[in-house]
Amino acid sequence: MTTFSLFSFLLTLAVALWGSNVLALSDYHEQLFLQPLPQSSLLASFNFRGNTSQQSFDNQHFRYFPRALGQILQHAHTKELHLRFSTGRWDAESWGSRPWNGSKEGGTGVELWAWINAADDEEAFARWITLTQSLSGLFCASLNFVDSTRTTRPVVSFEPTGDHSKTDGLHLLHGILPGEVVCTENLTPFLKLLPCKGKAGISSLFDGHKLFDAAWQSMSVDMRPVCPPGGECLVQIEQTVDMVLDIERSKRPRANPIPRPVPNEQLVCDTSKQYNSEDTCYPLEKMTETGWSLTEVFGRSLQGVCPLAETDSEQSVCLRVPHERSVFTSEGASEIKQDDGYTRCFKLDPEQPFDLAVHEQQMNTKVPLEEPILHAERTIVGHGQERGGMRIIFGNPSETTAVDFIYFESLPWFLRPYIHTLQATITGRNGVRQEIPASDLVTETFFRPAIDRERGSQLELALSVPAASTVTLTYDFEKAILRYTEYPPDANRGFNVAPAVIRILNSPDSSPVYIRSTSLLLPLPTPDFSMPYNVIILTSTVIALGFGTVFNLLVRRIVSVDEAAALGAHTLKGRILSKLVMLRDILRPKATKVE
Amino acid sequence: MPAAIRNLRNKPDVLFVRLPNVLSLLCIVVGVVWLLLLPLNEYSRNTYISENALLPGQVHAYFTGSEQNIFRGYKKELEVLLNEGREEGVSQDVAVTPAAHNKVHSILQAAGLKVATQKYEYTSAGITHHGENIYGIIHAPRGDATEAIVLVAAWKTADDELNLKGVTLALTLSRYFKRWSLWSKDIIFLFTPDSKSGTQAWIDAYHDLQPASVQPLPLKSGALQGALVIEFPFEHNFRSLHVVYDGVNGQLPNLDLINTAVAIAGGQMGMGTNLQEMWEHDDSYQARLKTILRGMTKQGLGYATGAHSSFMPYHIDAITLQPKGEGWEDEMALGRTIESLCRSLNNLLEHLHQSFFFYLLMQTNRFVSIGTYLPSAMLIAGNFTIMAIALWMRTGYYSDSKTNAPAEKSESEKSSDTKGQSMTEEKTKGTPVAERLMAMPLTLVSGLHLLGLVPLWMFNTLSHQYFTTATYVFVVVDVVLPLLLAALLSSGLGLSAPIVPQQYLLIKSFTLLLLGLSLSTLATLNFSLSFMIGLLCAPLSFIVRLQSPSAPVRFAVSTIGLLLLNLLSPPIVLLGVCWYTGVSVESVMTQAAFGWDVWGMWTQVVVWCVWWPAWLIGCVVLGSSMF
Repeated sequence: MTTFSLFSFLLTLAVALWGSNVLALSDYHEQLFLQPLPQSSLLASFNFRGNTSQQSFDNQHFRYFPRALGQILQHAHTKELHLRFSTGRWDAESWGSRPWNGSKEGGTGVELWAWINAADDEEAFARWITLTQSLSGLFCASLNFVDSTRTTRPVVSFEPTGDHSKTDGLHLLHGILPGEVVCTENLTPFLKLLPCKGKAGISSLFDGHKLFDAAWQSMSVDMRPVCPPGGECLVQIEQTVDMVLDIERSKRPRANPIPRPVPNEQLVCDTSKQYNSEDTCYPLEKMTETGWSLTEVFGRSLQGVCPLAETDSEQSVCLRVPHERSVFTSEGASEIKQDDGYTRCFKLDPEQPFDLAVHEQQMNTKVPLEEPILHAERTIVGHGQERGGMRIIFGNPSETTAVDFIYFESLPWFLRPYIHTLQATITGRNGVRQEIPASDLVTETFFRPAIDRERGSQLELALSVPAASTVTLTYDFEKAILRYTEYPPDANRGFNVAPAVIRILNSPDSSPVYIRSTSLLLPLPTPDFSMPYNVIILTSTVIALGFGTVFNLLVRRIVSVDEAAALGAHTLKGRILSKLVMLRDILRPKATKVE
Repeated sequence: MPAAIRNLRNKPDVLFVRLPNVLSLLCIVVGVVWLLLLPLNEYSRNTYISENALLPGQVHAYFTGSEQNIFRGYKKELEVLLNEGREEGVSQDVAVTPAAHNKVHSILQAAGLKVATQKYEYTSAGITHHGENIYGIIHAPRGDATEAIVLVAAWKTADDELNLKGVTLALTLSRYFKRWSLWSKDIIFLFTPDSKSGTQAWIDAYHDLQPASVQPLPLKSGALQGALVIEFPFEHNFRSLHVVYDGVNGQLPNLDLINTAVAIAGGQMGMGTNLQEMWEHDDSYQARLKTILRGMTKQGLGYATGAHSSFMPYHIDAITLQPKGEGWEDEMALGRTIESLCRSLNNLLEHLHQSFFFYLLMQTNRFVSIGTYLPSAMLIAGNFTIMAIALWMRTGYYSDSKTNAPAEKSESEKSSDTKGQSMTEEKTKGTPVAERLMAMPLTLVSGLHLLGLVPLWMFNTLSHQYFTTATYVFVVVDVVLPLLLAALLSSGLGLSAPIVPQQYLLIKSFTLLLLGLSLSTLATLNFSLSFMIGLLCAPLSFIVRLQSPSAPVRFAVSTIGLLLLNLLSPPIVLLGVCWYTGVSVESVMTQAAFGWDVWGMWTQVVVWCVWWPAWLIGCVVLGSSMF
């Protein structure tokens, strides 16, 4: 924990650079941060930030702030916006703590939260719907499905990061779509918001094929007002793309992406084994650091710098590897090593494409990874169609300090939790499990129960996990039975339950630390839709045939042709005749019955 | 025809005595013949893949080449560690030595999997089963831990052989699968010490439903979509693949999974597949019937036939793949089959739900579904119900043996009768109506059914060394108890009112009613068990209390009858089957107790609380002829 944290470094670097330009009312910065992670992974963290003054924002003078987004925000009276697109899992066990301390990532799928200026809750919700509908169109995401059942109003889990005036009636609304698949159609509109639109600068590295092949990936858009003390207020937009690429996989040529078994002679075998021979090989794990270059990993090279970015004082590409590792760059770029021993940044030639290559090398020192403050895992337990249980495990790796945090969970209405069954088990390092009342750990509870088909339940717990221990929370729930029209028309793999959000309160450097659990799959009792479908078709056919025939016989009057002609005539005689025929028809069955 | 019915009404002895007997016998005969017809082409169907997403065999399997070198390397490494462990004195009972166990852990970790272990301990019949599971998870590269597939390799196969090649294959596959980016579901590699208890402990803990002696799982993934068990317990190459699919309590995996395995092994890999140990299946009627009967035996006994069986109660479809015979297929072929199967399961968008969960397989590509075979067991269960209803109606009249007895007493009882009975009475003009004395029969039948809990409890809690003795003791009890009860009944249990013949009929009616009810319900859950118990109980429908001949004849006939019935008592049937198959009684009972304690097997409940009480009451009714 004493090691200088990579991600706080990332933050301070960004803040320092921003600080130097704090007075500029309108500016744009971009930065790429690269770090190899264990298991031949590479973290690439792109950050784009643009400012515009509040005044020009209000007057719709957009320069670095994207007009499309700005107009939506103004229309929906949104003062602060956070939008996240994420897929995959961050492997905290091997990769350490999260980039940006988790503050720039969302749960699997799409997550959106915003502070909206409105007089009351109803108006806020109406504006929220306006916002989600518009963003849905802008980002090609199903954000329009964030309806009242998926909207929550967290009380303590989120705090505004911008400077808001006290007079604003701000309402926080939060929505999450765990089942949304993030893909290239979301990247294109994301790139369009950038001043250089992926044509120059670090955004030129974005290739849908590579980006969406990443093991973990998160895209974020944050908009907030910033009022420096004594200065004029700014509106700031920050966009980030973080991804962890598998270097081995990214380096495979696109024409031959299949990981076939390597030829025999390329196998790395442990020759010290006595059985080692031509056809027997105990594989040796590679001890060297994998070599890679930007073109190999991203499939293209970096096209200079974005001319709109403030380039004078900026090194837009930074790499975090031990200084002893040799790094090769293309011509025109200059390398500046930081004195922490690990970081080096590059100043790019604006005219030339930039490439960076790190060769395979045996390394003695490793870049220290910061251990996460808290481990969290959430799973559904039990089985069957009626009931289930939720199990949440929090592990505190620290030997000395307890962790205080807010646990926030929004559950769909068809999952009905029984909060009275909330139980806690605490396990120490010695493995002794001990049941304790949940109230010993939970200091505060905010719970808003669900209303069927109107809103989901929302649970916020303020918790504390003692040092060197693991806390397991469990509660039971019941699964509701849906109406058959409420099942989505797609293949029924179960219903997604949104990831839980954990906000750590006592983080070391007081910056917000967020962790999100994985999303869950909730199997609900589901009819086999093909069966009722077949039955409906069959019975409908039978009924149609039967009913049709009987109905026909009942209402159709069979008359001879001359009578029909008379009936057709709208004369007095015709009318009388038709009455007579009707009378005859009524009388005739009686006559047959008597027989 | 109406004349015949009218005629029948006037002959209650035909209506209530002969006709039910004929109908019952007809039901049993038709039920058995129905089953025998199933293997014919007209009554069975070819299998087909119902879930189109599976696309079996549509992908190329790449598990070849240098992967085999790694397979050999891992195998040698484990072999060395196992032999060293044996020299250091690890007993032969334990398949895996601690060093080999740790090696599995380190290989999985080196391959980049998330690894965790789980200790468990079960005690059953005085024997303690303990071990440590080890499992690794490949996270789906872009997945979110919502779904997973399980690959199981137990150190000991279902036949208690060392599964070295199976374990090695799973290890090699874990390293190979890790490289692929196409997985949409997590893949869990589970290594258990044995095929009996390890998977059960793991799957129970996965759903957090484990007993206290089993550790919870530190690492989990999402909902399990399917499981494959790999076995390869010999050194030579194999010829065909044996697909084992029976689950605990006769539950079966989705037929699509078996079809996919057969399609991939047969169609893509070009190796043969077998079911139910039918190594030479010529697709003849006899072979088909034999396959069905073997499947029914396993289903009826309801025990776990392999490591896959434990998954079934959690609605996770699972099969075991066993290489069999001598041929030219090597471990890589098995590996490719598993790779292709995993790719098929990986395609699934939803849990396997199409196709069939209730079926009888007669050949790898031929089956009968529940709609076709169910009437067979239902008819056999129905024979008891028919007889029970007939007896109930018969007890409503006096002197059923003598036709058209005068009805003097009926006036007073008519008013107390229920509406339905009086209507029946009206139809059968002149037949007198009797009041049913139900208290004693009801008490006796429910009491004896509750008595079934005694052997159930006894055989599940005794220590294993007493099982043989207990079984023999129970044979003696089965001989003595019915006679004792019959004697007690005929002496009126020491109470004032002596038992009347009508009450014997009522006792028989109630027990058959219960039997019919239980078996027809059971038929929908475990067809084979219902069918087997139904056949064994079939004589109970036709047992009567002898009254007419003289005492010595009655005595002789009922003694012979009791002897024959005793041959069909649960403990004697058990002894007979054990003698026929050459398995010791103790091992069978130990297995049964283990099944009850660990797998949650329900066969014993059916035997002791359905079959045994019915059999006992049958004996009592027959035995009462002596007194």
